[in-house]
Amino acid sequence: MIAKLSTLVLVVLVAACGAHMPPKELVDARAAYDHAAAQEATSLVPAELHIAKESLDVAEKKFADDPDSQDVRDSAYVAMRKAQRAEALGTVAAATDSKHTAEHERTRTQAEIIAAQQGKLANAQDQIAHEHANLVQQKQLTEQERQARLEAEKKAKDAMDALSKSLAVKADTRGTVITLSGGVLFATGQATILPGAQAELNQVADALKTQAEHHFTVEGHTDNQGTDAINNDLSNRRANAVRDYLIVRGVASEAITAQGFGSTRPIGDNHSPEGRAMNRRVEIVVDRAVTAASS
Amino acid sequence: MTRLRIGFLAAVIAAPLAACGGAPKPEARMASSEGAIRGAQEAGASNVPQATLYLQLAQEERDQAVQLVKDEKNHRAEMMLARSEADAELAVALARAAHATHEAQEATEQIRDLKEKAQ
Repeated sequence: MIAKLSTLVLVVLVAACGAHMPPKELVDARAAYDHAAAQEATSLVPAELHIAKESLDVAEKKFADDPDSQDVRDSAYVAMRKAQRAEALGTVAAATDSKHTAEHERTRTQAEIIAAQQGKLANAQDQIAHEHANLVQQKQLTEQERQARLEAEKKAKDAMDALSKSLAVKADTRGTVITLSGGVLFATGQATILPGAQAELNQVADALKTQAEHHFTVEGHTDNQGTDAINNDLSNRRANAVRDYLIVRGVASEAITAQGFGSTRPIGDNHSPEGRAMNRRVEIVVDRAVTAASS
Repeated sequence: MTRLRIGFLAAVIAAPLAACGGAPKPEARMASSEGAIRGAQEAGASNVPQATLYLQLAQEERDQAVQLVKDEKNHRAEMMLARSEADAELAVALARAAHATHEAQEATEQIRDLKEKAQ
């Protein structure tokens, strides 16, 4: 009786082991584990996946030992949660990785932006320095020009002052007028410069060369003796003779013109010998206006 | 021969009995389950939609376990607490995953904005 009963119990147990379908919890746990193991992110947390596997193994063993027990369902439930947990922790690891990557990239990009801005700044500073140097150079040039002009003006004034000590120099509406006596320059009726007048004309030429920005007019004048035709011709030739001489002495030819006025512009009384002597003259006019060609 | 069979039978019958009634109160499990639930709450599981369900399950299972202990079904209580702890730990992991994903997205958006500005 007892032997038969125990045999029956064994048969039932064996039959149960072979034929039992796994409970829903175990089916779910297996699927959850397979799903977790298939995720790429889960490979970042191998320890967590291992725990899930161990947990599933426990449920499988219990199922093998006693398929119907509540313990199988409980441990399968726990195993499923462990698998889900491993998957979630894989997500954490992957997200943390991508955050670090982004932060690293941000640091690098910020450094690139700063470097680019510093480059622009350096360029701008270079440009400013360059422009500043140009400005300083220009200023120096301008100052040098100003100094040179002042020196030239002083030299011109000094020359005219020196000239006025030995010659008749006066200012009128035309400009500065240097008056040379016809008797000193020429023999009567002639337009050839006398050797004795050369020193005086040399002095005039030197003074005119310092007045580089002015134009000069050489004017020939006679007294009223003789015909106008003769006087006009003579005054013209004398003016040109002086012009030619001054050019030979280095005065620029384009800066100097000559003109004869005959007896039309007396400065003395033609009725007296002294007055006529004053009227026989050559005047060199330094024009008041500064020529455009000057610099 | 007969005595051996009687012994075997007794063992077969006694094992399940011992499993049901004789287990000690699952005090250690109760403590670790409570700890896991607190951990889930601290991780912000109640504010994360994906995690809230598992936190609730963990709490319900813990309450059922308390009742099972009162009914002196200590082994069932122990297994219920294992479920509770597993649910609470999943809630923690899901809350962390939501948080980390959000931070990663923010960092990615920041770098995209920065690159747009840089151009």
